[in-house]
Amino acid sequence: MSIRGAVRGFGDPGFYVPFTGLVLLALAPLLIQNPFYAHVGIMTFFYAARAGAWNLLGGYAGQLSLGHAAFFGIGAYTSTLLYVTFQISPWLGVMTGALLAALTALIVSYPCFRLRGPFFSLATIAFAEVLRILVIYFRDLTQGSVGILIPFKPGLGTLMFRGKTPYAYLAFALMATVLGTTLLIERSKLGHALAAVREDEEAAEALGINATRSKLFAALISASLTGMGGVFYAQYILFIEPYSVFALDLSIQLALVAIIGGVGTAAGPILGSSLVTPLNEFLRAWLGGTYRGLHFFIYGCLLIVVVILMPQGVIAMVRGYYRRLLKRLPGMRKDIPSAVPEAAPKAEVREAPTPFSPSPLLLEGRGVIKRFGGLAAVNRVDFSVREGEILGLIGPNGAGKTTLFNVITGFHHIDGGTILFKGEEITNLGRPHKICLKGIGRTFQLVKPFGNLSVLENVTIGAFCRTEREGVAKEEALGILELVGLWTKREMLARDLTIADRKRLELGRALATKPELLLLDEVMAGLNPREIADMIQLIQGIRAQGVTLLVIEHVMAAIMSLCDRIMVLHHGVKIAEGSPAEVAKDRKVIEAYLGEEYLVA
Amino acid sequence: MMETILQVAISGLLVGGIYALISIGLTLIFGVTRIINFAHGELLMLAMYTTFWLFQLFSLDPYVALFFVTPLLFLVGLIIHWMVIQPILGAPPLMQIFATVGLSVALQNGALLLWKADYRTIRTAYSTAVVEVGGLFISVPRLVAFLVAMAMAVALFLFLKKTPLGKAIRATAQDRRAAMLMGVDVRRIYLLSFGIGTACVGVAGALLMPVYYTFPTVGTYFVLTAFVVVVLGGMGDMMGAFLGGLIIGLVEAFSGFLIATALKEAVYFTLFILVLLLKPSGLFGMGRGAEEVGLK
Repeated sequence: MSIRGAVRGFGDPGFYVPFTGLVLLALAPLLIQNPFYAHVGIMTFFYAARAGAWNLLGGYAGQLSLGHAAFFGIGAYTSTLLYVTFQISPWLGVMTGALLAALTALIVSYPCFRLRGPFFSLATIAFAEVLRILVIYFRDLTQGSVGILIPFKPGLGTLMFRGKTPYAYLAFALMATVLGTTLLIERSKLGHALAAVREDEEAAEALGINATRSKLFAALISASLTGMGGVFYAQYILFIEPYSVFALDLSIQLALVAIIGGVGTAAGPILGSSLVTPLNEFLRAWLGGTYRGLHFFIYGCLLIVVVILMPQGVIAMVRGYYRRLLKRLPGMRKDIPSAVPEAAPKAEVREAPTPFSPSPLLLEGRGVIKRFGGLAAVNRVDFSVREGEILGLIGPNGAGKTTLFNVITGFHHIDGGTILFKGEEITNLGRPHKICLKGIGRTFQLVKPFGNLSVLENVTIGAFCRTEREGVAKEEALGILELVGLWTKREMLARDLTIADRKRLELGRALATKPELLLLDEVMAGLNPREIADMIQLIQGIRAQGVTLLVIEHVMAAIMSLCDRIMVLHHGVKIAEGSPAEVAKDRKVIEAYLGEEYLVA
Repeated sequence: MMETILQVAISGLLVGGIYALISIGLTLIFGVTRIINFAHGELLMLAMYTTFWLFQLFSLDPYVALFFVTPLLFLVGLIIHWMVIQPILGAPPLMQIFATVGLSVALQNGALLLWKADYRTIRTAYSTAVVEVGGLFISVPRLVAFLVAMAMAVALFLFLKKTPLGKAIRATAQDRRAAMLMGVDVRRIYLLSFGIGTACVGVAGALLMPVYYTFPTVGTYFVLTAFVVVVLGGMGDMMGAFLGGLIIGLVEAFSGFLIATALKEAVYFTLFILVLLLKPSGLFGMGRGAEEVGLK
C-alpha cells in the first residue's frame, strides 16, 4: 500500500473504529484492579483467541472439528513436561508445543479431510479421546489422571507472574495474534481458496485450487495457535489434567464461542467471547457450587437457538448497525464509483484463425477409455483441438460428453489411452487443480457457483489462480465481470443470480484462471433465445482473445453457427467429426439423434 | 484358560446387546433423517434417571419401569424432533451438528443442575444374581438386558420389514423424494423414526439401570460407543448396527482383557477411525458408507 493509501486507511472509519476498540481493550488491563474482573477479562481474551483459532479451521475452511482440545492439550502438556522435567523455559515450550500440535494436525487431518461434515467431526472427537486416554494411561510420563502441578516460580523466563496484568497482556497478545493471522489469511490467496473449498470443493479444484493443501494449511495454523493457547492455560492456572485440557466439552466450547459470535468472520470469535465468557464467569462466581451446570445449560440452549435462528451468529445481526454507524463517521469513503473502471482490459483482438487452417495441436487424446463398472462411458476416443479453434462436442444424452470433460480436466482417472496438452502428457495427473494450472479451464453442466460469496469474490477466486496479490486478482476479476456483463451485479450473492447469470458467472470464473483452453459444458442450456445470442457473442469474444474452446452444447443452432469443427459422440464412441455442414449431413449422426426409423422413413 | 476366554466373550456379548440397541436407535434416526444425533447419549441418560427415580420414589422395579420409560422417551423424541430437528433438516452441516451438540450440552448440564453429579445406582434383589452354566457365571440382569435388547431388535426388524409403516420408513431412508412421490408422508415418517430411535434408548436405559449407575455425563460414554458401532455396521444399516454392537462389546471385553482395561476405549476409537477411513461402508459392506462420509 502506498503512503497516501495508508494515510487514507487510517482516516477510514472502517479502520479506525475497530483499531480504537482494540486499543481500548489493550488499555483495559491497566485500569481494572479488581482481580476477579481482571480474571473475567483474561478469560474473555483467552476464549476469543482459542475460538478464533478454531474458526480458522471450522469457520474459514468449513471443517467442523470437535477435537480441538487435543491440540490444546498437546500444547499444555508439552510445555509443562518440558518445564517440570527439564526446567526448559515455557517460552521454548510455546514453540515446541505449537510445532507438535501442528505436526499432529498434519498427521490426523490428512486422512480425515476426506470425510464429510459430521463424520469429520466424529473422527476428530475419536482422535481427541484416544489422545486423552493415552495421556491418562502413560502415567510415568504424564502423571496420568492426577495431573501436573506446576511449581510457582514467578519470572519472565518461567512465564509465571504474581499479578493478573501480565497474564492479561499475554492473553491479549494471543488474541491479537489470532486476529492478525485471520485478517491476513482472509485477504490472501489462501483465504480465498478456503472460502471456495468451503462452498464447493469440485468447483474450487477446477479453478486451480489445491483443496487438500489449503485445508491442511488452515489446520496447521489453527492447531498451532490452539497449542499456544494450551501453554498459556498451563502457565495461568498452573495445573493441568487430562480431563480438563483434553475434554470434549472444551472442544465444543471453542466452537460454540465462534458460532455464537459469527463463524467464518474475523471479529466473530471476539464478539462471541465478549458475550459468552463474562456470562459464564459471572454465573460461575455468583452461583458458586449451588447451581452447578446452570451456565452450561444456558450455553447449550443458547447454541441451539443461535444455530437454528441465526446460523450466521450475532455478528450478522449487528453488522447492519455497525455499517450505518461507520457511514455517519467522518472520513468514510464513498462507495466504489458506479461507472465502468478504466482498468477494464480491452479485448485484445487477435486474428481469429480461419477454420481448418493448420494451426498447431493444443489438446490431443489418443484411444481414451473411461469405464464405470462394465460400461465404457468413453470408449477409445481420439480427439484433437487445434489452437484458436472452437470445437463443438455433441451427442445424445448419455453419449459420454461430460465424462470426456471430466477425464480431460482430471476429475476422472482414465482406464486407457493418453491425453496430451501442448505436447505434454497430462493423463491421470491426479487432481483437477493441476490441470487448471496447466491452462485448461472448465465450467460445469450443473453450475457450481460459490453461492454465499459475491459475484466479484467468485471471479476473484478464479483470478487468484495466476497471482498471489489480492489487488491484482480483484482488478482482473472486475475486468472479466465487465466482459461477461456482470459488472453491475458484482456485489450480489452468487446464489441470488438467475440461471443465465450463473452461467455467465461460471464462464467468467473459469476465464479468470487465464486458460489457453476453455471447456464449456452446456453454457446455453436453459437460456432464452436472446440470452443464447448474447452467449454466442460472448464466446466469440473470448475466442478473439486467443482462447481455444471445446464446447458441449445441445442448442443446435448455436453449435452450428459457433463451431469451426464438430465432433459427435454416441454411446461413448466417436461417430463423426468434421465441419458443421458435414456433420449435419452425416448418416450416423442423424441416426443417433433421431433413431433408425427416421432414416428408413 | 478356555473358560476365562469364554467368560470374557460372554460378558462382552452381553454388554454388546445393549450397545446394539442404542446403536440401532441412532442408526435408524441417521438413516431416515440424515442427521447424526449427538444428543442420543443424553436421551439414554434421561431414560436411566427416569428409571432411577421411579425406583427411588415409587419403588418401581426397573423392568416394570421399562413400560413407562419407553413411551416417555418416544414422546421426548417427538418433542425434540419438533423443536430442534425439524428446523435443521437439510441445513448445512454446521447447523446440523451444533444444534444437536447444543442439545447434548443442555441436557447434560440440565441433569447436573437438577440431580447433581453423584453416581446413582439402584439395588434390586437380582442386581448381583448370577446363574452358573457349565462352569461359566452369567449375571442375571445382564442376561435379561441382553435378551430383551435382542427381542426389541427383532421386533423392530419385523416392524420395518412387514408392516406398511415400517416399509414407508425404509423407503424414506432409501430415497426421500421417491417415497414422497409414492404418497408417503415424509414429515410424519421423520417424526416417527426419531421417536422410535429415541424409544430404543428408553428400553436400553431401563435395562441398564439394575447393573449400571447413572450420572449426568453417562450418555457421552455410551454414545461415543454407539457412533463407533454405527460406523462399523455401515451407516444407516440396522442389521450392521446390531452386529456391530455385539462386535464392539467383544472388542471392548477382549482388549480390556488382553491389553489393558484403561485402553479399551482407545482400541475401539482407533478401530473407529480406521473403519471410517478405510472401509466406510462398514465391516459388512452393507451401508451406503462411502458416499455418505464423503469418500468416493
